[in-house]
Amino acid sequence: MNDTNHIASAFDRDLDSIQALIMKMGGLVETAISDASKALELRDTDMAQIVRKNDKLIDALEEEVATEVARVIAMRSPTAGDLRTVLSVLKISGNLERVGDYAKNLAKRTSVLSEMQPVNGTGASIRRMAKLVSVMLKDALDAYIQRDADLAADVRARDTEVDQMYNALFREFLTHMMEDPRNITACMHLHFIAKNIERMGDHVTSISEQVIYLVTGEIPDEDRDKADRTSYVAAPKES
Amino acid sequence: MFDDTKSTERVMADDDIKITAKGVDVFYDKTHAIKNVDVDIQNRAVTAFIGPSGCGKSTFLRCLNRMNDTIDICRVTGDIHLDGNDIYAKDVDPVQLRARVGMVFQKPNPFPKSIYDNVAYGPKIHGLAKNKAELDEIVEKSLTRAAIWNEVKDRLDAPGTSLSGGQQQRLCIGRAIATAPEVLLMDEPCSALDPIATAQVEELIDELRQDFTVVIVTHSMQQAARVSQKTAFFHLGDLVEYGETDKIFTNPVDPRTESYITGRIG
Repeated sequence: MNDTNHIASAFDRDLDSIQALIMKMGGLVETAISDASKALELRDTDMAQIVRKNDKLIDALEEEVATEVARVIAMRSPTAGDLRTVLSVLKISGNLERVGDYAKNLAKRTSVLSEMQPVNGTGASIRRMAKLVSVMLKDALDAYIQRDADLAADVRARDTEVDQMYNALFREFLTHMMEDPRNITACMHLHFIAKNIERMGDHVTSISEQVIYLVTGEIPDEDRDKADRTSYVAAPKES
Repeated sequence: MFDDTKSTERVMADDDIKITAKGVDVFYDKTHAIKNVDVDIQNRAVTAFIGPSGCGKSTFLRCLNRMNDTIDICRVTGDIHLDGNDIYAKDVDPVQLRARVGMVFQKPNPFPKSIYDNVAYGPKIHGLAKNKAELDEIVEKSLTRAAIWNEVKDRLDAPGTSLSGGQQQRLCIGRAIATAPEVLLMDEPCSALDPIATAQVEELIDELRQDFTVVIVTHSMQQAARVSQKTAFFHLGDLVEYGETDKIFTNPVDPRTESYITGRIG
């Protein structure tokens, strides 16, 4: 990577402004995750409504990034580190947009869940999981700004914890549903929420991989430990 | 449509080497223009030399067919082998060498003769044609390969200089390949051409690599990226980096290469 300026200073301004858009998007997405999980725990439908509304801003930023990237590719024919910058920016904005969508979905389900009997202890667990993903996202974006491949690799490794939390929640929901069928509707919604947060973790992992690609020119190998084992879980047999 | 997922073939067999240069130094009087350059030029591939003005890329290109012999103050040391034979050996006739290693220059330079004679001249002096019919065939074949035959076949007697710039350059390429060279050196062949003529010449270069080894010096990095399979970056007389073109343009190793191809001051 290269810290010196381009001879054409407008090129530097273009690249800087695209990256500023990504940072703005990242900030909005971090807020969306934390507000959505807080709204769920506190059964705060107003806050959930705000999260749903703000997702439009994130979507608009993604489109703006795509337009700007197309323009830079057409006008400046970026190569080497510049090329990797615009390519990674495009992918990162796509990932951020998806994370924003999941946060919006969390907020939607909050509106339904707040009408129902709460399921013991699950709100706090989900909020812990969301917090973990939110910190990962913050670190991934810091790694991006600082071009820090080591921090990005660390974030990527942390996704295992998210997977494990999801496994634990999956079993917890099963137990609640088997104990009392009246929990089923709420637990189905909560399960989708947990799954969506787990997916957010995957998108943050993908952002970290883009940072590694940006810095080193290589996409990391797919040798990461996957801890999502729920595909193999069956409900315990009734005795 | 869209059922072929293979993109442009870029990767070449690494062991088919046409020209080997080892420890090449070039001095103009006291100026050290090329410093200890080692490079292997691949057979039937396009190799691009890039670098800022004065970096030595044209000087090095001219070593490959001993064009520097014509400059009195120029001294070349080191080894350059074509198919394993030392091209600077005492018994090598530079004129014969240049029939095997042809050259196309920056500005189209047709002889002040007819289109036909421009192409026929080389084969004639090298005795490549036994009679007029054979010569006619060489001219047609060369001009066809140079993608200009259809434009000039009805006016072969017109002076070469009457053609447009892009046509003149393709005529010069046709002239260069008429002597059936094995290597074609091109020193900024498109710098005097408009974008359409440039695209035609680039298309031609891509076709020529089926049979020839092409080495091109270019100031246009996009051109190097478009036409070549291998790229060599020269800076202040050093060969800084040499490798697969797509690697050089997506993830170069040396920071000087990165600075140059991304248009930074470095």
